[in-house]
Amino acid sequence: MIVTQKALPRRTFLRGIGTSMALPLLDAMVPAMAATRLAAKPAVRLAFVYVPNGIIQANWLPSAEGSGFDFASTMQPLESFRDRLNVLSGLAQVSGRALGDGPGDHARAGATWLTGMHPKKTEGADIHAGISADQIAAAELGKSTQFASLELGLEEPSMVGGCDSGYSCAYTNTISWRTPSTPNPMEVNPRAVFERLFGDGDSTDPASRLKRMQEDSSILDYVRENVGRLRPGLGTRDNSKLNEYLDGIRDIERRIQKAEQQSAAIQMPVLDRPSGIPEEFTDHAKLMSDLLVIAFQTDMTRVVTFMLAHEGSNRSYRSIGVLDGHHSVTHHQNDPEKIAKTVKINELHVRTFAYLLEKLQSTPDGDGSLLDHSMILYGSSISDGNAHTHHDLPLVLAGGAAGRIKGGRHIRYPKETPMNNLLLAMLDKAGVRAEHLGDSTGEVQYLSGV
Amino acid sequence: MAILLLCLAVPAQSAPGSSAAQPQALIKQYCAACHNQTLKSGGIALAEMDLSDIASNSAPLEKVLRKVHSGEMPPPGMPRPDTATARAFTQWLQDELDRSAATHLNPGRPTIHRLNRTEYSNAIRDLLALDIKPGAMLPPDDTGYGFDNIGEVLSMAPVLIERYISVARTVSRLAVGDPAIKPESVEFRPPKNSRRRERVSDDLPFDSAGGLSVSYWFPLDAEYVIRVKLAPIAGFDGPQDTRSLELRLPVKAGTRTVALTFPRQEAFPEVIAGLRGTAAAPSTPARAAGPAPFADLRLDGARLKSYDLPEGAAPALVALTISGPYNITGPGNTPSREKIFVCKPAGANDELPCAEKIISRLAYHAFRRPVTSTDVQPLLDFYKRGRREGTFENGVEMALRALLVSPDFLFRIERDPAGLAAGSVYQVNDYELASRLSFFLWSSIPDGELLNLAGEGKLRDPDVLARQVSRMLDDDRSKSLVSNFAGQWLYLRNLAQVKPDPDDFPEFDFSLRQSFERETELFFSEILRSDRPVTDLLDSKFTFVNQRLAEHYGIPNVYGSQFRQVVLTDPNRGGLLGQGSILTVTSYPNRTSVVQRGKWILDNLLGSPPPPPPPEVPNLKPHGEDGSLLTMRQQMELHRSNAVCAACHSRMDPLGFALENYDGVGKWRTKDAGHVIDPSGKLPDGTQFDGMPGLRQVLLTTRRDDFIATVAERLLTYALGRGLETSDRPAVRSIVREASAGDPSAPAPSFRALIGAIVKSVPFQMRRTPET
Repeated sequence: MIVTQKALPRRTFLRGIGTSMALPLLDAMVPAMAATRLAAKPAVRLAFVYVPNGIIQANWLPSAEGSGFDFASTMQPLESFRDRLNVLSGLAQVSGRALGDGPGDHARAGATWLTGMHPKKTEGADIHAGISADQIAAAELGKSTQFASLELGLEEPSMVGGCDSGYSCAYTNTISWRTPSTPNPMEVNPRAVFERLFGDGDSTDPASRLKRMQEDSSILDYVRENVGRLRPGLGTRDNSKLNEYLDGIRDIERRIQKAEQQSAAIQMPVLDRPSGIPEEFTDHAKLMSDLLVIAFQTDMTRVVTFMLAHEGSNRSYRSIGVLDGHHSVTHHQNDPEKIAKTVKINELHVRTFAYLLEKLQSTPDGDGSLLDHSMILYGSSISDGNAHTHHDLPLVLAGGAAGRIKGGRHIRYPKETPMNNLLLAMLDKAGVRAEHLGDSTGEVQYLSGV
Repeated sequence: MAILLLCLAVPAQSAPGSSAAQPQALIKQYCAACHNQTLKSGGIALAEMDLSDIASNSAPLEKVLRKVHSGEMPPPGMPRPDTATARAFTQWLQDELDRSAATHLNPGRPTIHRLNRTEYSNAIRDLLALDIKPGAMLPPDDTGYGFDNIGEVLSMAPVLIERYISVARTVSRLAVGDPAIKPESVEFRPPKNSRRRERVSDDLPFDSAGGLSVSYWFPLDAEYVIRVKLAPIAGFDGPQDTRSLELRLPVKAGTRTVALTFPRQEAFPEVIAGLRGTAAAPSTPARAAGPAPFADLRLDGARLKSYDLPEGAAPALVALTISGPYNITGPGNTPSREKIFVCKPAGANDELPCAEKIISRLAYHAFRRPVTSTDVQPLLDFYKRGRREGTFENGVEMALRALLVSPDFLFRIERDPAGLAAGSVYQVNDYELASRLSFFLWSSIPDGELLNLAGEGKLRDPDVLARQVSRMLDDDRSKSLVSNFAGQWLYLRNLAQVKPDPDDFPEFDFSLRQSFERETELFFSEILRSDRPVTDLLDSKFTFVNQRLAEHYGIPNVYGSQFRQVVLTDPNRGGLLGQGSILTVTSYPNRTSVVQRGKWILDNLLGSPPPPPPPEVPNLKPHGEDGSLLTMRQQMELHRSNAVCAACHSRMDPLGFALENYDGVGKWRTKDAGHVIDPSGKLPDGTQFDGMPGLRQVLLTTRRDDFIATVAERLLTYALGRGLETSDRPAVRSIVREASAGDPSAPAPSFRALIGAIVKSVPFQMRRTPET
């Protein structure tokens, strides 16, 4: 007895929205506030797409630098976006190294990728990393949108039996940290993402959606009063837990306000509610990518993190004939068969990313496409999965950042250049001021083409 | 060994405060060379420690006790005391630590505990008689210390409250039976990967095969459409519509079972060939001769309709869809409504008092404590709001929505009594104790009886407490101990995610996976229910199988898909270590893993996890230098020739090798890669054993105490919802002693005995105020 699908039938939608027609997912979208934004400066969107366990360098890294570089085999699906991306090499996230903490490179990789902070080695009680770059951006860019950020994933968080060498599973399950002690969970269910964006009501009719939000709003008031009543006499840990909860309340209240302001401007999409988690990796990845694009397109959010699998993932990819676990094959010890399997997984992930770029490119936004106006970082916080190295990270930065990034190049930075310098530069180009991130020493150069 | 057991069971037999001079000298002689303030090996300095002050040094001394007791310290190659001296030392140390713990109580301090998905689902089930597992709509929970009910670890990300609000809305509408509920379609599909035609659910008739049975909450008395889609029938070119069946019918609100069944017909082959690699729809064999088949659509077991199918077709279900409600006739008479509407207003003047009665009652159960007007008044405001815009019932629904998002419902918050000094220790109040009990044993809220006893101040009475624990364990809700505690402790939850390679294990399919899970669940339940010693988990003369599993294990004369208890004659199948579930979750998709199996035993049965592997571990080499295929043992021996690897693998591998006669899905085998399997092993301490029965014997004798202590530790972690500290070790020892009734020659304690001892223990009954 397995519930595989749970869908609202098309006719339910038709009833809810009167005369509108249900259309295929993307075409149905009404470009959000496209009219109002035409004149203004296009908003820059940020996405961070993560793949675990490193990438086989031989099939990844271009041999040539600068423009006219060659696309190595793994990266080939990205060749058609040559002008809209840069391959970045030489960057390092040295906080991911052991630094006296012993094993646990996968946990540290996940935790450092966007935070740049060496995570505290603990199984849970007192997890601590840093605020991640996406959340720094979300705090600023989120002022204009209903959702400060979205966190998407394709793999249920693991699992019983511990995650990595005495580290909390939080470090491997997410790359997004709202505060140094609050990891944001990755949502893996497309239906849940859809409902977050567009509501879980019986109708997408703006008036009833608004009424529901007002009801929610009064419930939030009630919850806040209750939390206030509970606080006196609680310990520090208890209080900090409640603070996190209050942050969540403020978040939704802000969103409701935004929705009220924007309800006239944004027409809700008419689209089929996803029915659940597709069984095939590729179907799941495409659906999630579609939702990511819709979230950008409707300007529901400008910041997304997207984990194609959690760090240290041992998922097997049957559809491409790799039955061994991903993590297992990355510890290949130069066994050609295992390397070949790892490469196949790397390729599958890159194809998934190419699909996302394709969608972004084909979605108009103001005077260009979403791809023109976005910055999408793809990569891993481990380069060699066999040796758990945290330098020479495999990274691709796609998107034009509304004219602030020039594509078409392979930029090789001096060895051990902090990846945090790249994150700072991305934040800067998104209009977000941040002075430091982890071991940053400034912003990386050359992105805008100079 | 007998002497040691005796000592363990009777603590503090040495005179209180007996001289520390001898142990002090021992430490100076054997430990101080490394463990001093200068070197501080392993972070521990013993040379300067004053052993007459146990209380101030209990944390490092607990480590000393562990390491010396297990023989890990002093390290190999260093001088060590003779066995008798070492035992005398550990006995003295343990007595002193226990004595110190008894006078310096440290129950720890669980943090605010958010209900996890399971607890949320169960709480809704018990509060509203609505068993729809709404927790599945919440974000996944974080796990720590092996469990997903650890307060400190369960995060409060912003997305949570958003989901709480949304789920509360869904739940309250369904529970009240809101007539404005819009139609929805839910599609159910049978598991893809089933290789055999067998009865798929115990809800279905014995003479059925294939099909699907689903439990569905019909929200209102209304019409619903049930649609059945059958697989294309190979070689049949009749009209298409034979494959899509539809029935529109009135259904009364509530949970009902909808099933589509096919008859079991001799004409159909038992095993469907050629299934491998086929896409969504299971393909069908060539036409079989025989009477025309049919499909039965059933509601709560009764046949709604029979559909004739083309002659010779071997039908297969693609999907069953339930849509509705249409033509609503009313909210119906559901268990949820009965539970909520304890009064019915006869007129307008009755409404407010009735609403107040309903809401106060719900809040009492949801908040798990007496409620005051401060609790009820805001909820009544929601009622009034809902009533203004709709009916009386809409008002109640609105109040319920708010109640389900209240922090008093969603969080377990224990409050320090006012005026206690920092670091003081106190008994949690009776309502908090009731919640601790119910979340431990039921993963849910306390029921009326527990709350009543708490209100009367009787719950702490030892007899009352014992009776309640017994009642709770006999209650059906205690099955959460199996699904949550055992499911996580033994990694059974990972079964859902294992994907054995179909080329290596063609016999593995959904039904076998389900059977594995069911066997271990039934087995664990039986040991819990019938009060057997926990060691029976490792060694039993019985298990539970159906035909599928019996064939897998080579047990003859078991027919049909229902599970039954069988007596085992094969010594290789008694206990967890012979069960397909454990053997499969500890294997790789394409082979067994000696290391994973050994590690699983060390982690979960012996409580001494090996340290994680260093990076750059060399891989196993499947071929020898001459190119010949190596057995797993040969590969591992090659691996162990590396000294770095040997330190841990010498502990893990022998345990795993003992299980090499079971393949990656737990099937018995005698050869691996063409070589006869040698399941013998030898631990670093010289213990030797042969195969699973030999290993089992070691676990039941020389390592018995370690096993029992590990069970107690895992149970206590789960019971408290927090990771254990070294300061909890005396509590674990006292729980084991209490559960063993001080008689070490008796059988090992049962789960009930351990649970009984846990609920009486200091960390379960008490709490500490923060230090500052």
